[in-house]
Amino acid sequence: MEAPPVTVMPVTGGTINMMEYLLQGSVLDQALESLLHRLRGLCDNMEPETFTDHELVYLLKGQQGNPFILRARRSLSHPTAPWHLRYLGQPEVGDKSRHALVRNCVDVAASHSLPEFLNEMGFRMDHEFVANGHVFRKGAMKVVVTKLSRILVPGNTENTERLSLSYLVELSVLAPAGQDTVSEDMRSFAEQLKPLVHLEKIDPSKQRH
Amino acid sequence: MSGGPAVRVSIESSCEKQVQEVALDGTETYVPPLSMSQNLAKLAQRIDFSQGSDSEEDGAEGEPRDREWGKQEPEEEEGTLKFQPSLWPWDSVRNNLRSALTEMCVLHDVLSVVKEKKYMALDPVSQDPTAGKTPQVFQLISKKKSLATAAQLLLKGAEKLSKSVAENQENRRQRDFNSELLRLRSQWKLRKVGDKILGDLSYRSAGSLFPHHGTFEVIKNTDIDLDKKIPEDYCPLDVQIPSDLEGSAYIKVSIQKQAPDIGDLGTVNLFRRQPKTKAGTQPWHVKLEAAQNVLLCKEIFAQLSREAVQIKSQIPHIVVKNQIISQPFPGLQLSISLCHSTGEKKNHRASPEKPKPDDHLYVLEHNLHQMMREFHKQQLSSVVMPHPASAPFGHKRLRLAGPLAYDKAEISNLQQNEGLLEKIIKQAKHIFLRSRTARTIDSLASRIEDPQIQAHWSNINDVYESSVKVLITSQGYEQICNSCQNIKNGLQFTNSEVYKHKNT
Repeated sequence: MEAPPVTVMPVTGGTINMMEYLLQGSVLDQALESLLHRLRGLCDNMEPETFTDHELVYLLKGQQGNPFILRARRSLSHPTAPWHLRYLGQPEVGDKSRHALVRNCVDVAASHSLPEFLNEMGFRMDHEFVANGHVFRKGAMKVVVTKLSRILVPGNTENTERLSLSYLVELSVLAPAGQDTVSEDMRSFAEQLKPLVHLEKIDPSKQRH
Repeated sequence: MSGGPAVRVSIESSCEKQVQEVALDGTETYVPPLSMSQNLAKLAQRIDFSQGSDSEEDGAEGEPRDREWGKQEPEEEEGTLKFQPSLWPWDSVRNNLRSALTEMCVLHDVLSVVKEKKYMALDPVSQDPTAGKTPQVFQLISKKKSLATAAQLLLKGAEKLSKSVAENQENRRQRDFNSELLRLRSQWKLRKVGDKILGDLSYRSAGSLFPHHGTFEVIKNTDIDLDKKIPEDYCPLDVQIPSDLEGSAYIKVSIQKQAPDIGDLGTVNLFRRQPKTKAGTQPWHVKLEAAQNVLLCKEIFAQLSREAVQIKSQIPHIVVKNQIISQPFPGLQLSISLCHSTGEKKNHRASPEKPKPDDHLYVLEHNLHQMMREFHKQQLSSVVMPHPASAPFGHKRLRLAGPLAYDKAEISNLQQNEGLLEKIIKQAKHIFLRSRTARTIDSLASRIEDPQIQAHWSNINDVYESSVKVLITSQGYEQICNSCQNIKNGLQFTNSEVYKHKNT
């Protein structure tokens, strides 16, 4: 039995340097059934999965302008599942011909004491919401159809109010940096959903008013 | 007038819209012109329903009927109508419709009362006897004519029906492209790209990770000569499969006793199996199924060879061309080879060194297929779906490794550490051990006569374990003393438990 190798160099690559490729779109409530039907046919053959999640967005205001944002998300339908902490970087301003939004992404699973931990670290909760909908996958691609709801009383996830009459559709892939074939595959998949929903890259920084 | 400059006189039409009011600062507000619905209402008001296309008598009749059957309300309303003509433009229309409804109701009531024949009866009006009977010949001729017209109509309808039935039959026989395409689509995945129809025959949507694209193209079979008779097996649709998936393949697994001869490696290319085609299946179905089988065999072999190279074991596995050779026991050789025949070469018929057809272990080949499909299914299991939805894909238990601080031993327990090759080697070892145990017991039983040895092999076995019950009895004393042994063929060794029964 040989001893496991001990590395002294810092760990780079692997799951640390993952990029998220993202395409977003939306459909009205009336069109949801046909979209789900279509996705059921196009994606991998599994039982359709629904989810109900509660997401909290934490901000750390430093001396500089931009606050540091962390997203903590837990599943309301699977209460024993670990929390998911996510950091999303700025979108890469690479060539304009890239079809998907690319940004640095760090995903960490955390235990149920995450909110207290973040509070102790100095983060303050900015806003929270409840998301429910359906999840599909095709190979490495994940398609999420979400209905977002606003929480009226902080901390109470029962009392929610829908934000809009539409569903948000997101197509995302987690891949190591530098793989541009991923965006090609995403674009061809988005083409197949074309008349029902238009998935395109939406720059979040351009959304601020 | 002379001398003065010519005066320009301009003529303009008067303002067509009526001025409703003039505001204090001089702007004029016009009466807005009637919209389409208002115009229609105005015209509808001018319709006089009581004036039919016949004559004024009907109109005159209509009025007393109105007064007789009409209720008080419409009369009042008609009265008020004279005073306020612009009360409601559809009013007269409404009234006329209501009176018509009243008359219909009365007619309906009269008819229902007459039907009962208790309170009212209908008598035919006596006809004028001087009208005279029409001559019989005339009646006959008129009946004949009407029957002929009826017969004509029926014949025309029957002709149309028979023509459409014949057309249907013809179509079905011809099996046109679209109906065939529909049938293809009910069994295989198709999509349209540009003007080409492409399909997917890979297992990727079933969970496979093999990088082959598995795309086939559907083409219309147009090389048919319409003058000649259409052949029986004509199909208007043809599929074009990728060139490396042509023919048919299978995985040959065999156990040999001799030590591997270096010169013999990589020469296994014998193909002796012809796939049976069921009558009634379309040629494209047979082709696509064969191509899918070839793809699965390639995937299995690729996975096995990858593991053979990567996994370290005491006796290294040899991978040569399309054959993997490993030694489960010293002196025993397990060879797994991918036999792919494109179906064109016929020169293998005359090969002298034909291996025994019993050499191939069908069970292990079936198990390989089964394990590969199980691996596919695992990829698709919902255990992989993330909750919360933003988490990356991955095994559910592995996601708990971080929060619950698993150490390396626990993590390696969660992950699947046995590959396809190891599993198949274990199964091959078990098969060999089982056959050797059976032979040993049988030879002992035939050699030793004094205590009788009987062996009962259990039918219900595992791939890694079999069980046999050995009964050792003395002739004539079976009731008194016998011993029975349960031998379980584990993987490397044989367990035996001995029970002794004594009858006092």
